[in-house]
Amino acid sequence: MLIAWRYRERNTIIQRLDPRARIIFMLAMLFSIIQFWDLRIMSLFLGLAALQFGLARLTWRETRRVWILISFIIFIMTTLTFLTGRGGVATAYDQEHLIRRLGPLSLPIVGWQLKLDVTAEKTIFAVSQLARMYAITTMAITIPYTVDPSLYGVTFKGLGLPDKFAYAMDLSFRFVPTLGRDFSITLDAQRARGYEVEKLSGGIIAQIRRLAPLLVPVTINAIVGAEDIIDAMDLRAFGVGPRTWVRRLTYRRADMGLIAASALIFAGSTALAFMGVGRLWVPEALLKLATG
Amino acid sequence: MVPLAEALPLVVENLSFRYRDRDEFAIREIAFELEAGKILLIAGASGCGKTTLIRCINGLIPRSYKGELTGRVRLDGQDTADMSLSRISQIVGTVLQDPERQILGAHVFTEVAFGLENLGVPREEIIERVEETLAYLGIAHLKGRETFYLSGGEKQKVAVAGTLAMQPSILLLDEPLASLDPASAEEALTLIRRLADEGKTVIIIEHRVEDVLKIKPELSLFMVEGELRYFGPTTGLEARVDYHEVKLPAPMILEKARHDPPPAYVPPALAAARNGPLADFRDVAFAYEPETPVLRDINLSIRAGDIIAVLGPNGAGKTTLVKHAIGLLKPKQGQVLLEGVDTRELSVAQIAHTIGYVFQSPSHMLFAPTVREELAFGPQNLGFDQETTEQSVAEAVDILNLKGLEDYPPLGLSFGQQKRVSIGAILAMRSKILVMDEPTAGQDYRNYMAFMNAILGLPNFAAILFITHDVDMAVCYANRVILVHEGTIAADGPPTEVLADLELLRRCRVVPTSLLSTNLEHLPRTGRFMPAEALAHALSD
Repeated sequence: MLIAWRYRERNTIIQRLDPRARIIFMLAMLFSIIQFWDLRIMSLFLGLAALQFGLARLTWRETRRVWILISFIIFIMTTLTFLTGRGGVATAYDQEHLIRRLGPLSLPIVGWQLKLDVTAEKTIFAVSQLARMYAITTMAITIPYTVDPSLYGVTFKGLGLPDKFAYAMDLSFRFVPTLGRDFSITLDAQRARGYEVEKLSGGIIAQIRRLAPLLVPVTINAIVGAEDIIDAMDLRAFGVGPRTWVRRLTYRRADMGLIAASALIFAGSTALAFMGVGRLWVPEALLKLATG
Repeated sequence: MVPLAEALPLVVENLSFRYRDRDEFAIREIAFELEAGKILLIAGASGCGKTTLIRCINGLIPRSYKGELTGRVRLDGQDTADMSLSRISQIVGTVLQDPERQILGAHVFTEVAFGLENLGVPREEIIERVEETLAYLGIAHLKGRETFYLSGGEKQKVAVAGTLAMQPSILLLDEPLASLDPASAEEALTLIRRLADEGKTVIIIEHRVEDVLKIKPELSLFMVEGELRYFGPTTGLEARVDYHEVKLPAPMILEKARHDPPPAYVPPALAAARNGPLADFRDVAFAYEPETPVLRDINLSIRAGDIIAVLGPNGAGKTTLVKHAIGLLKPKQGQVLLEGVDTRELSVAQIAHTIGYVFQSPSHMLFAPTVREELAFGPQNLGFDQETTEQSVAEAVDILNLKGLEDYPPLGLSFGQQKRVSIGAILAMRSKILVMDEPTAGQDYRNYMAFMNAILGLPNFAAILFITHDVDMAVCYANRVILVHEGTIAADGPPTEVLADLELLRRCRVVPTSLLSTNLEHLPRTGRFMPAEALAHALSD
C-alpha cells in the first residue's frame, strides 16, 4: 500500500497556507535560485528557505533521515564536480586562478596520471553549488512534512493539471516513502541472511552486482505494487470521465500575498539575471591566495 | 416478460479463460447462477482458478488481463462484454485479497470517497454517502484517520466501505480473512452475513472455509484445476470435497477421517530440553516513538527443543519481539542475550549463524537469477566453503521439494513455491533456531499442512518459533504457546494450558476454533492436542 510522508497537524503559519500557494512559492524560488551562482545572493535564498523550515516548526529528529540521504547525494555531486572541474567551466566561469596543484599521481598498472588543480573559481563554485542545492532542498523538503497527504491530488488539480495527472502526482508523492519502507524491509530480510551492505568490495561493477539483493526485490515489488494500484483504480472507475474532487481548497489573503511575493521574487530574479547580476562571485581573499 | 435467468444478479455461462502468456486454460467451462441476498463461498486449492473467475466477473478480464475468453458473464441480465469497467464496478464491488493492495487514499474519508469521485457524483452527495457507509459499518470514528496507521481489521473494513459506497448489488471478496487476526476475521464475517441479509449478493473466496461456514453461506462452489467440481447448497459441500484440500470444521473431518488410513503426522515433542537458553529476553522494552511503547516487560527464554507458536492480534508487537531476537532491533531497555552474548555486541550477520529468520513476504528477499544461487546466498555470506555451501543447498532443495526447480528464477515461481524457496534459503544457512513470520499465510490447507509437517520433521533446528494468526497451527504443531497482547507477554506455556484458558484467549482477541474446542473436549482422553485427522484415529483406538 502507498504510504504517506509522516505528517502531523502543527497549526503553524506555514501549515495554514493554501498548499497551492506554497507550491507556487516553491517553484518561484526554484526558478529564481537557478538563475544565480553568486554565493551572497544564494545565502539570501538559503536564509529564506531556512526561515520557511523554521516557521514550519520541523525538527531535526523527524527529518534526520531525509537530511542524511540528501546531504549524501549533494556532497557526492559537489565533490565530483570539484574533482572533475566540469560544470563550472561551462556555466559559471571561464578563467581560473590556481591556488594549489595536487599530484600528479601515477596509477599503477594502467599508468594514468591523476592531478587536481585547486583554483579559486572551482572552490567558490563548489561552495555556491552546495548552497544552491541546500536552498532548493530545504525549500522542497518542508512540503511533504507539512501538507496534508489527502490534499495532494486536489492541490495539483487546483494548479491546473488534468484529473489523471493530478492524481498521478498524488500517487507519485506517496511512492517515495513507500519505496523507502520496501527498501527497509528488504534490507532487514537480507541482513538476516548475513548480507552486509557496508562490506561491499571490488570495482564499481562488482559493487553494483553486490547491491542486487537489495535492488532486485525493491524494483520487483514496486512493479507488482504498481499493478495492484492500477487494478484497484480500475475497479473503482478511475479515469472514466471528469471526476469530482471532494476536498476543496480556498485561497485567503495570506495565500494571495505569498503568490504575489513569489511572482515578485521570480520577476526580480529574472530581471537581475538578465542584467548580468548574480554571476559567480569570487571573494578577493581567495584570489589573493591564488596570486600571492 | 424478462426470463428468470436474465433477472438474476449474476449468471456465468460456460466461462473459459487462458492468459495470453500461458498454454493452459486457467478456468474451463464454468457455469452457475446466483440469486440476490445469497452468499456464495468459492473454495479450492491455490492455483485452481478462483482468482481468474472473479477477474472475469469484475471485468478485469479481459480489460486489464488479456487472453482467450469464451463464454459469458451476465450482471442483472446484461452481458459484461457490452459494459464498460466503470458500469461493471457500479454493479460488482470487489474487495481484493489484501486490503493494503486496495487502499489508495491517504485518509479514510478520501479512500471511501474515491470511487464516487471517479464517477463524478456531486460533492454533497459524496459526503453524505461516505458518512452513511462509515456509520453503517460502525467505523465513523475512523473518518479522519490516516489509512496507513489502521489495524488490519480496520483496513479491511475501510476497503469494504470504499466498495460499498459505490452501492454495488454484488460484493466480491477475494480471501478477505487472509491477513486478519481471528477476532477481526469474526467481525468481518458477521458484517458479510449482515450485508447479504440486507439484500446484497456476496461472493467470497476463502481458504479458511471453516471460518466462512460459521456464517452459513447458502451456496458453495468448489473448484479443482480450473474446473467446477461442485456448485450447490453448502450443506452438500462436505460430501464433495476432499478434507485434505479444504479445511473443514473439525467434527466433519473427525467423521470422515476415521474411515481413512492414519495421517503422516509427527507430534511435537511435549517437553522442551531444559538446558541453557539459546536466546534470553531480560526485561526488554522497546518503542519506535518514546510516547508509544511497543514492547514492555518482556522476559522469556528460548531453549533447545522448543517449538513456539506466537499468537496475538494485529499490532500486538509479535514481529517487533522477533526482530529483537535476530538483532534487527535493539531493546531500549533490558537485554536480549543470544547464547549468553548481548545482541548489542553482535552484528545481524553474526546472529544469523544462530537464528534464521524467514520474513512473511518472499518477494522482499528473493533476487537471484536461479533458485540454486538464491539458496547459496546465505551460506556464502556466512563464510561457508564451497563444498559445505553446495551440501547445504542440496539439502534445502531436497527437504523443501524444490528438485527440478534449481535453475528456475525464484521470482518466476508461484507464491507457494517462492515461500518454500525463502524458507530453503534460511534452511541452507544451518542456523540453530528457525524463526518464521506467518509461514502459512496465503497457502492452501494441503500445502501448509505438508510444509509444516516437513519443517517440523527436520533434525536441523534446535528450536523453532513461528508467528501466526492461525490458532490451529499452535494446536497441531507447537509445544509452547506465547500470547502477546498490547506489547506484553500475556501467557507463556504448553498449548494445553494456554489455549485452554478461553477467557484469556478472548481478552487477547484469539478466537477458539472448532479444532481447539474438539481437542479440549477430548483432552482428558488424549492428553495432548493434534490435528483432526490424527484425533479421529486417536479416538477410535
